[in-house]
Amino acid sequence: MGFLEEQNRMSAFLRAERLHKSFGGVRAVHDVSCEVPQGSIFALIGPNGAGKSTLLNLLSGIYQPDSGSLRFKETDLVGLPAHERTRLGIARTFQKIRLFKQLTLIENVLAGFHIHQDVPLWKCFLPGGTGRFRDEAIELLSFVGLESRAKDRAGALPYGQQRMLEIARALATRPKLFMLDEPAAGLNAAEVEFLLQRLENINRKRDVTVVVVEHNMDLVMNLAQRVLVMDHGLRLVEGTPREVQANPRVIEAYLGGEFAAESAT
Amino acid sequence: MTDFLTLIVQQSVNGVYLGCLYVMVALGLTLIYGVLNQINFAHADFVTVGAFTAFFTATRFATKALGMPDTGAYLLSLFAALGAGALLGWLVSVAVFAPLRRSGADELRPLIATIGVSVLLENGQLALFGPIPYQFDSPLARQTIRVGSIFFSAQSALVVVVSVAAIAALYAFMRFTFMGKALRAVAQDRETAGLMGINESLVIALTIVIASALAGVAGALLGPVVVLTPFTGASLIVKAFACVIIGGFGNMEGTIIAGLLVGIIEAFTVQYLGSGLIDLVVFAMLLLMLVIRPTGLIAERKEENV
Amino acid sequence: MTGGSTRRRGIAFLVAVVAVAAAPWLLGTGYWRGILVLCAMNVLLALSLNLVMGYTGQLNLGQSAFFGIGAYVSTILIKTYGWNFWLAAGAAVAAAGLVGVALAAFAVRLRGHYLAIASLGFAVITYQVLVNWESVTQGVRGIYGILPPVADTVALFYLVAGLGIVVYFLLDNLVRSPVGDTLRAIREDEVSAAALGVHAAVWKAFAFGLGAAIAGLAGCFYPGFVGTLVPDAFGIVESFTMMAMVIVGGMGTMIGPVIGAVVLTFLPEVLRGFGELRLMIYGVALTLVVLFMPGGIVQAWVSLKNRIA
Repeated sequence: MGFLEEQNRMSAFLRAERLHKSFGGVRAVHDVSCEVPQGSIFALIGPNGAGKSTLLNLLSGIYQPDSGSLRFKETDLVGLPAHERTRLGIARTFQKIRLFKQLTLIENVLAGFHIHQDVPLWKCFLPGGTGRFRDEAIELLSFVGLESRAKDRAGALPYGQQRMLEIARALATRPKLFMLDEPAAGLNAAEVEFLLQRLENINRKRDVTVVVVEHNMDLVMNLAQRVLVMDHGLRLVEGTPREVQANPRVIEAYLGGEFAAESAT
Repeated sequence: MTDFLTLIVQQSVNGVYLGCLYVMVALGLTLIYGVLNQINFAHADFVTVGAFTAFFTATRFATKALGMPDTGAYLLSLFAALGAGALLGWLVSVAVFAPLRRSGADELRPLIATIGVSVLLENGQLALFGPIPYQFDSPLARQTIRVGSIFFSAQSALVVVVSVAAIAALYAFMRFTFMGKALRAVAQDRETAGLMGINESLVIALTIVIASALAGVAGALLGPVVVLTPFTGASLIVKAFACVIIGGFGNMEGTIIAGLLVGIIEAFTVQYLGSGLIDLVVFAMLLLMLVIRPTGLIAERKEENV
Repeated sequence: MTGGSTRRRGIAFLVAVVAVAAAPWLLGTGYWRGILVLCAMNVLLALSLNLVMGYTGQLNLGQSAFFGIGAYVSTILIKTYGWNFWLAAGAAVAAAGLVGVALAAFAVRLRGHYLAIASLGFAVITYQVLVNWESVTQGVRGIYGILPPVADTVALFYLVAGLGIVVYFLLDNLVRSPVGDTLRAIREDEVSAAALGVHAAVWKAFAFGLGAAIAGLAGCFYPGFVGTLVPDAFGIVESFTMMAMVIVGGMGTMIGPVIGAVVLTFLPEVLRGFGELRLMIYGVALTLVVLFMPGGIVQAWVSLKNRIA
């Protein structure tokens, strides 16, 4: 028993236990535990205001939990700021797109290689200290279908392409765990299809564990192996998409609205 | 009363009257920040313009041209300064804040633009009035009132009365008039206020005009008690910002408390450390405040929404 | 970098060297040569502020303080302790840089308006220390009879302008390097920069420290040039004039602040009228550029070129 438990703890990839976070008395995340298996695609769903984004912000280090524990592989994440979590291999995108709007696409992606830069500081004052990651940056741009616009300003891109650029920029950190906050929000059907395909590629070909917060049920059901449903800051259910879909508490949480309609089709 | 106690009370009285002046200036900054989320860096220079307007109204126009008595002329000059402040406020609102808001500028561009206005106003007045200090004799500054062993001038009593009246009027305006309610609504939630049919541009312009009128009056009150030069207001901006930060940007009650606090601290700094150190003490306080509690004395800490 | 761009930069560098070499002979009077020295100092100051404001996005109203620290530390070391100029200059640059890193401690916690006011407070405190610490700074009485490191005005101009070219060259490389990407990332969005692993506190300290050191370097030459040193030379309005140069020229570009410094140094001299004109021009230029030409002269030039092409 003890041995098995130990074994289990060792193999856990990302494990959150009893996370709490409140803002000015409002409980945004309350007593949420979850475990993301390595190599999986893990979805976080729930109605608006369920605490999904807050949970993601806790996992990525934008917020620190009021209490609870959080481990990534061997490392205790509690207290670790966002920029240090990135060095462990955790990357993310934002619900409200946060690109470097005044910079070009290629500059956005190049900034993503920050943690892999090994040019000594003094060499940056001399000519020719650039270029090491340029090819890789172009590759990432073509991975998300944007290589032809490498020299345009990021702010000039249409909405859907901005989402894809944010993904390319995050991939430049070479993550082992990649978290996306509503990546399909505001995308049209073709763009969602492309996103789906890219996420599967990221997961399988690049061997990246993916956590995705999503409203789009089709996407979740097609993509995820595990689903965590949240409501009012609480963990409602966790399971496979099929299990979750059939769970009456989940249907109730969605008030038979969006979710029921989605699952009926 | 012991000498020590008398000294404490005397300095507190001085502090309250200074504080009232600071509140008048800082409230304007805070009002604008509350509604617009912007800083008008030239705000304190409106104080100087108010002071010069009052000076010329009281000592040249009213007494010489209209033949008014000194006290009447000075009281009239308060209204002239109010008008001058309001006019400047309207100008800066129309020429700087409105176009920048329409072009969707970030938070720093209006600040930089008003720094330009500030530099222009200070040096324009320097060109007009010269660097030599003006002697602004208010008849009230010469009259001393004695209560027990505490002394203060009629001017400082007037400062307290006018600023309390102005603050009361401001609160009444915010609470009881439609425009005042609209102003508060915009300060709280711009989008919803827009949906409720409140004309946001008008509210913003009005806020800047009211704030600047307060600055103008503060100038008229300040003129007779300080050395009046084109840089009188600029030396005040330092303390006004301190009040606004300590009170919490956009928080009116916090600003009032902070203004009085800064005034009292200044009075005691003069007494115990020397007047040369006032700015040093006030700004050290400000920096400390920024490190410990950047959202001010009263406000709750908000987390950035990601 | 592509070969063409490297060659263009080489040519620009040569043009700059030739222009600097020729300037004292085109403007031959002692008065205009003095303006040239001021102009070279202003270029250094504008470059220093642009690194913090233009590239790292931190609105710093306290840059005048570093200029003052450079001036006072070098002068006091030379006059009171008999140091050699270059040794004193090195110490002054280091001192300004260290204080810059200390100011960055505020920039780590504060953003936007709050940082602007904190840095303003820092400039006011520095000014007040210069005024009140009379045993060391002589307060408002000032320090007199300060000699420049080189006796001749033309030589002084070559020295300061030469340093300006070196600093420009180093910074120009820096902003093209990965460090430049990192600083711009912080300017654009600190939260996403953190999500990419950028430790903003460290890089802000770097930018503030380097910017302060460059302003301190400019400060080392000011007292010798003027001959006297009083705190009033480092009031907050000096921060505003530097800001005007950066904004008028074009914030966040390398060449913009240089153009801004040259234009705003010479414009008031060309339109010489009454004494307050200089600062009035700065005020008007600052407001008008922010309102009508937010990218400054550089942006105006680029859009003009596009319209013709």
